[in-house]
Amino acid sequence: MTVEPLRGRIGGTRRASHRRDILSKWAFMLPAALLLAAVLAYPLLHTLRISFSTFDLASFSPTEWVGFANYAAALQNQTFQSSLIVTGVYLVLALPLQIVLGFGIAYLMNAGWRGRGLIRALFLIPMVVAPVVSGGIWKMILDPLWGVVDWFLGLFGVSAIDWFGNATISMVSIVLIDTWRSVPFVALIAAAALLALPKDVFEAAKVDGASWWHTLWSVSLPMLGPIIAATFVVRWLGAVKMFDIILATTNGGPGEATNVVNLFIYRQAFQLLKFSESSAMAVIVLVITTILTFVFLLGSKSLEDRL
Amino acid sequence: MTATAERTRERVGDIPRVQRPTVGRRSRGERTRIWSGVIVCVLFLLPLVWMLLTSFKFQRDIFTTPPTVFFEPTITQYVAAFKNAGLGPKMINTIIVALGAGILSLVAGAMAGYALSRLHIKGAATIGVLILVSRGVPPIALAVPMFLVARTLGITDTHITLILAYCSFVIPYVMWLMRGFFLSLPKELEESAMLDGCSRMGAFFRIIVPISAPGLISTFIFSVILAWEELLFALVLTSRKAVTVPVAIAGMAGDTEHGANWGALSAAGMLTVVPVVILALLVQKWLIRGLADGAIKG
Repeated sequence: MTVEPLRGRIGGTRRASHRRDILSKWAFMLPAALLLAAVLAYPLLHTLRISFSTFDLASFSPTEWVGFANYAAALQNQTFQSSLIVTGVYLVLALPLQIVLGFGIAYLMNAGWRGRGLIRALFLIPMVVAPVVSGGIWKMILDPLWGVVDWFLGLFGVSAIDWFGNATISMVSIVLIDTWRSVPFVALIAAAALLALPKDVFEAAKVDGASWWHTLWSVSLPMLGPIIAATFVVRWLGAVKMFDIILATTNGGPGEATNVVNLFIYRQAFQLLKFSESSAMAVIVLVITTILTFVFLLGSKSLEDRL
Repeated sequence: MTATAERTRERVGDIPRVQRPTVGRRSRGERTRIWSGVIVCVLFLLPLVWMLLTSFKFQRDIFTTPPTVFFEPTITQYVAAFKNAGLGPKMINTIIVALGAGILSLVAGAMAGYALSRLHIKGAATIGVLILVSRGVPPIALAVPMFLVARTLGITDTHITLILAYCSFVIPYVMWLMRGFFLSLPKELEESAMLDGCSRMGAFFRIIVPISAPGLISTFIFSVILAWEELLFALVLTSRKAVTVPVAIAGMAGDTEHGANWGALSAAGMLTVVPVVILALLVQKWLIRGLADGAIKG
């Protein structure tokens, strides 16, 4: 373009104007920087501070510095440990299931016919249902007494299942509900990615007589690697925040079976008013989440570089 | 080629086109694929259809075995949701907070996103990673100090507190999406304007913003949806005056012992779902692209 030579002609004022430009670029950052400092950075630092102190409920402020005492107490808290495990189990069950289902459904959605646009639009809908609403809907549908699912299963002679009744089934139900809400998201991203795959490679594989399974394993998957990883990271960032669906359905129960870490810490803080300990727990969760996020980001980056 | 198919193709827009659907002769595999897709789609929509039906039922039609599909429709459940659960003011709160958080985040986030797309310094990449990592910050780590600070300042249970709290997660999202959007615009756009004596700020508002209207509008809609659905901060930071609909729904879902108030729950659910579904369908094409960008450009 002609921009650079023109700029040179302005001559002496060039450096000054360049500096002014850099300044004005930073001025663009200012509103967001101030707001994020106030609502993101400051609260995090405050949480850190509370996590190292005792907390005075009369003045509602952190008082004495106690070092790592709250962390020690948090890590010894068995319910906290179990809530971490519950969260881990939920993530290990939900994430791979949602990625696989999402890509599978994307393949079905991409079938070339005139209804494709409509199907794509309809799939958008569960995705924007508020998590707490999806919890509410499914609580009705899965009700053992009046729920439509148990009635339907009853037609085939299956006796009523209490979907939120025992530890295993309630975890399955939570994963099911979350999957219902999140799979459309994965599927929509995956559908775009699948359409963007180069067609000639598949034709070449076909000519070479590769089986369907072999094509999937050695052609599609390697090419989709980066997008699968990226979708996984985004889903992970959403799933670690799991709170609403559980609050609306099992409320953490039965017992502690679905008491994910966010719900557990929420209760420690706002029902038991254990602000110091809950802050320490929140920091522990934050550290674990951040480390894993970095691991996943690096993993997805290396997948991208390998191509 | 029928008109519908043409329109569909247009709407799908920038997604690379597949082979023309050959009408009539499809292989059996292809037919199975289409029908499986339709069935899966219907299965995914059934829970929402069930909520829709329940919201228009009398109490007596909700608790039946077998479940009632044909019934005399009524709006009693909606009336109950507004009267007994006080949904009206909560809806208004939710609208104020979602729009407020959306507007504030859009202005701050779009400006920052622009800076990130044009700042040629080492910091930009770090900020990009920080934004992504900030999306993994558990809200509970922010909720405790926010509650304490708001309590000290005496601003719990107000719209502005909730709006600011929502900025903590909406701004990074907007920055991320808009950064990607601005990266796709040629730099010459504002540079030529700046040569004509426009300041960078002026060039941004007069040239970049109008061009980016579709991106800005769809990002605004994502932001509003994010704030609209939020529960945890709303639970912590509101108590009476600024309570939002998700909090009310959590309450309704929480105290249903085998369905005491399913009708009102469904009605409230419909009222939260319908507006965002309409918004999402309006910006469908952008929504999908935005999601994909949000996921991919890492």
